[in-house]
Order: sequence, then C-alpha cells, then structure tokens
Amino acid sequence: MKLSLHTLPTVPLEAEVICPDKFIGNSLDAISAMTVMHGNQACSLADFFTLTDDGLETIEVDGDLSKVKLIGSEMTQGKIIIKGSVGAHLGALMTGGEILVTGNAEDWVGREISGGRIVIKGDAGHLVGSGVRGSDTGIQGGEIIIHGNAKNEVGNGMRRGLIVIGGNSGDFTGVNMKAGTIMVLGQLGQRPGASMVRGTIFSTQSAQLLPTFTYNTTYKPTFLKRYLIYIKKLGFTIDDAYLNGKYQSWSGDSLELNKGEILLFAE
Amino acid sequence: MSGSSKVIENAICTFCGCVCDDIELTVDSGGKYITQAKNACVLGKSWFLEHKVEDFPVALIDGKEASLEEAVEAAAQVFVNAKFPTIYGLSDTTCEAQKEAVAIADYLNGNIDTTTSVCHGPTGMAFQGVGESTASLGEIKNRADFVMYWGGNPAEAHPRHFERYAVNPKSHWLPNGKEDRTIAMVDIRPTQSSMIADIFLQIKPGSDFELLWAMRALVKGRAFDRSVEERTGISLDRLEALVQQMKDCQFGVLFFGMGLTMTRGRHFNAGALLQLVTDLNDFTHFVSLPTRGHGNVTGADNVVSWQTGYPFGVNFNRGYPRFNPGEFTTADVLGRGEADALCVIASDPGSNFSAKAIEHIKSIPVITLDPKPTVTSQHAKVAFTTATYGINVPGTVYRMDNVPLSLRPAFDSPFPSDEMVLRAIKERICELRGITSNHKPVAA
Repeated sequence: MKLSLHTLPTVPLEAEVICPDKFIGNSLDAISAMTVMHGNQACSLADFFTLTDDGLETIEVDGDLSKVKLIGSEMTQGKIIIKGSVGAHLGALMTGGEILVTGNAEDWVGREISGGRIVIKGDAGHLVGSGVRGSDTGIQGGEIIIHGNAKNEVGNGMRRGLIVIGGNSGDFTGVNMKAGTIMVLGQLGQRPGASMVRGTIFSTQSAQLLPTFTYNTTYKPTFLKRYLIYIKKLGFTIDDAYLNGKYQSWSGDSLELNKGEILLFAE
Repeated sequence: MSGSSKVIENAICTFCGCVCDDIELTVDSGGKYITQAKNACVLGKSWFLEHKVEDFPVALIDGKEASLEEAVEAAAQVFVNAKFPTIYGLSDTTCEAQKEAVAIADYLNGNIDTTTSVCHGPTGMAFQGVGESTASLGEIKNRADFVMYWGGNPAEAHPRHFERYAVNPKSHWLPNGKEDRTIAMVDIRPTQSSMIADIFLQIKPGSDFELLWAMRALVKGRAFDRSVEERTGISLDRLEALVQQMKDCQFGVLFFGMGLTMTRGRHFNAGALLQLVTDLNDFTHFVSLPTRGHGNVTGADNVVSWQTGYPFGVNFNRGYPRFNPGEFTTADVLGRGEADALCVIASDPGSNFSAKAIEHIKSIPVITLDPKPTVTSQHAKVAFTTATYGINVPGTVYRMDNVPLSLRPAFDSPFPSDEMVLRAIKERICELRGITSNHKPVAA
C-alpha cells in the first residue's frame, strides 16, 4: 500500500490507522475512509493522503509527515517505510514488525514498545524508547536504531531491548533504566544512567558521570564485540579500535541497586 | 484622610504566591483607587497603590473599539472555527475564571495550559514521578526548625515569606523565632536572601543535580565519588555537616524555586530534591514546598487538576484529557506552529516566549483577557479589558501551600471579570455547537 501526502496538515494529525494491522483485510475504499484526527476534527485518511494499492503488505508513506503523529501505533506485524520525516509517537506500544524512516523523527520514538524494530536514518527527538509521563517503564523489548543524534531521556525507564544511537545522545540517557542495552556511538549527554537499577549503557567517547557511579576496571567485554558486530551489520560504521578495544567499566547508580553498568571506550 | 474613606481589613494580596491575607486597604472617598496598603510588602504596595481604573475600551476587535457582546461573539467564532485552539495563562485570575476556561477547552476539544508550564511545570512532573511530602505554611511556621531555600530569592521575590511563614515567626515550639531555626540557602550567587542565612552554599551553575545526588548518597550512606567537590564547588566536609544537621532537625522544610526547576535537568532537578526529602524522612520529619510566583498559579494547578486529572499541558482533541509536557504545553505547541487559535488569560506570551512561538502568535487569531494592554494584546483579534482580581473582583485563590483563600476586593471596576467574559464565551460556544450546558448561573 502506498500513501502520498497531498495536503499538509495545518495542526497535528493523529494517524494511528497507518499501521499494517489496521490495513490488512480491508479494501482500498475502507482504508481511505479510516478516521484520522486533525486537531479536534475527525477526518478520513483520504483527506490527506492519496492511496495506491500496489498489492504489497508493506506500507510506504511519502511526504512531510513531521506533523503526523502515532504512525505504526500498536503495530504487531508487517513493515512501514516512511520516505521523509515523521512526527511524534512513532510506533508507540509496538509489539512486532518493522518501521523504517529515511528522514528525522520527532519525540517519543518507540514509546513503550515491547517488540519489533524501528530504524531512523536521521535524528530523533526526546524520549526515544521511553515510558509516558507517570509510567516507570519504557521499552520492554525490540530494537530502536537511530543513525543520527537523539535528544534527552533516551530509554527512560527501559526494561529490556536494544537502543542504538549512531551520533550523540542528550542528557539523562538511560535514566531510571531497569535493564536492557543502550549503545551510543557518539557522545553521551549529561548525567547518563541517573537512577539506573540494572542495564548497560555504552559509549565510544568518555563522559562525565554522576558521583554515584564508581569505577571498577578497564577490560575487554566479550559480549560488547558481538553487539558491535551486530550493529555493524545494521549499517553502522564501527572502527576496529572499538571492536578490539578496552573499556572502562563503571557501576551505578549507588542510590539504587548499583547493578547498572556504563562502559566507556578507553583505548 | 476623608471621613468617607473605606477600609478593607484582612484584604488579600495576589501579587505573589505568598497571598498575604492580613492587608489593610484604605480606599479613597471616590472609590476609585487605594490610598494605603498597610502590612503589604514593597511588591504588594505597588500592586495595590498603582492600580487605577483606566479609561480603556472594554473590548477591541482587530484594534477597533467594540461592545462586550460583539467581542464575545467574535471570540466564540474564533474558537469554534479552530482545529487546535489553545488556552494559556490563568495564573493571575480567580479559580472561578479558571474553571470556565477549562470548560471552554473541554467543550471545544482544545488544549489548555497555564504559566506553570514555564515556571514550576517540572515540579508538577516531579510530583507525578516521585510524590510529595508537604505541609501548610502554618505548620511550617509553627514547627520547622530547619529551613532551606534552594534556587530562589524570597527576600526579593516573596518579601514576606521570611516574616510570615518560615524564618522570623515565633511559635509555641519555636519561641525565639529565627534563633530557634537554622536557615540554609543554596544558590549560584549571593543574594539579598542569602545574607540572612546561617548556612550558604554557593554552588557552581548547573550542578544542582549532582549536589542533590551526593546529598542523597550521604543521607542513605551509599558510595559516591569525591569528584562532586570539584563539580559543585562545595567541600565534602561542609556537605557532610549540612546533611547531618538536616538529619538531626525536628522538622525540616526545603523550599525550592525556579533556580532549580528551570536550569538544565529541570524535572529531574525537582525530582532529585523531592527524593532527598523522601530519604530524609527515614531520619526525621522533612517536607518540601515550591515557592510559587504568580498570585493564583497554585489555584490554576488545582483547578486544572480537579477538572481534568492533570495540572497543566492538557489536550482534549480526542474528547478526553491527555497530559504530556513538551507535546501539549503552550510554548512548545506555539514553537512548533501547531495551534491555530490562542486565548491568553492574564499573561503575556508575546513578550516572553521564543521568537518562533511569537512569530506563530502573530500568524493566528488571538484572544486576550487582561486588565492592561500587553504585547500579546497588540496582536489580538479580540482583546478584552477585564477587572483586576483581588482588587476589583472577588473569588478564590490558592496560596503556594495549596490553602484556598477568599478575596476581599477593595472597589468596583467598570470592566467585567475574567469569569464573566469566559462564561459568556462558553455559553455562546455551546449555542453555536448545539451543546446543552448544565451550567447553573451564578448570582452576581
């Protein structure tokens, strides 16, 4: 199914219907008539998109979607390809399938997902893989792969899964983390891992850590090489120095269980 | 003084969040202005004495004088034709007006936010994430023997906070007033407030979170790195002594201001402070309280919370309330160019929001309700002149410790109250939308 934006929304457009689970088994007419919220107005998908049935289950969406929210929400299967940039809450509560964005994504990419994979070729906003305000649990499984930079609170409350940031991450990366892995190939922002209970945060750069993190040792973590080889296959450039290098291991947050680890490239 | 001057006893000052309720106002014999505001601080005196009934039109439409009815109709039309109407401000008006504003947002499936989102919004988020151990200012006045201010300057922002609530008052448990209390301040520079402090920690800018984290580690007896001395500029010995004093007090209170909530880290800074207070409760009784700025910003939080379930940044687009700071807060909604109509009540985002947001304000229909012309009202499609709450308008306001107080206005205004205007707009919206309002008219 191909969707091409023909009318730019003037206010946020909430389009959780753009999802394989909603499209499967429905005719082109039925999909065209599906409801999207343009601010407080209920509209149909066809009011904003030209739909073409190419016979494929993959949903391909074209256009400036930076004001279009909730695409792929609660997705369990299939694939969405977004050619351009996309608005907030992409793939919220997703449990399976794959979303690929060729441009940038706004805040809340992969909010509270528990499966599937989201790939952003550009930058992402705040709160990648985080929980909603008031929830203490973020991503519970699946993968979020950001090739560019991400802003603050990557993986807030993360419990399981993998988040990869190809560039820099903002402040409070891995805040309130319970478990899982966050890999930042660039620079970590301020105060990574605040209140983390368990889990792993990795960076190729040095970072200023909170006083409640303590240095353990410098070593070659075996598992890390496997993770780096895995993300290399996803299209990231990984220097051999990182594959074979040593990493500083820091434990924290001592205000919690002190079982979280931050691994920083040493040499 | 004329024999026919009117005296209002126990009047309430709504200039700041202290909401002092012991002001004695003298109104001139003509009933047009206040000649004396006994007990008021310098800010309160300005608030009362400089208020005059001015000769503004009751309403302007596109900059031209209009009747109240015409302006109500124009405002209702703006609202019903909008897809993402946003209501903002509300911290300098009565709870009764705030309630009408929430009703409008609800009927319109619009967006409502208060100035909390640009001051103690991070505190509201931290309350949701961490919780709050709190007390009334009365309890603090009577019991608190350890008082700490973090990131605020009450001597200049809340001038009677020391005198009425937290530093000087004598009580049964603190018969010698200030001598029975330990006053501590944390700030990045000396201020008028820090001069009265027994302990002053001048920390490096942007290191609040690290200092709070180290203090938490000390309270809980957890491992932490000495690098915090270099990071914050506070020696470990000093920090240990301070934390010991906090643990040893009978009743401690931690007041915090925008110096904490609006620096890098925002809701995490506020959350760290609330967590420190929680940790201290393993050893003694400790409470926290944000020092709120505007006269009824606490009322705005309360009204929006009891009507929608959330304190600010609430969206009704889908017919039910959703809360998401950053997504539905007005500075962000305008900055991203998302709102297609804006109603500002007793605030002036046109003078203090980001350049992008101000550009967007200029491109959409704006409705303003304010006693005076503002930068925002210069761009308004519909601008109402309203009476000033507390001076001309009765109603309810909330003090910074969530205690509600009834206003005792000094004299009448020729202008309608915010509540009256908003209710008229609401009722017209209901007519236009075919909604049967179950609102009961309030007697004048």
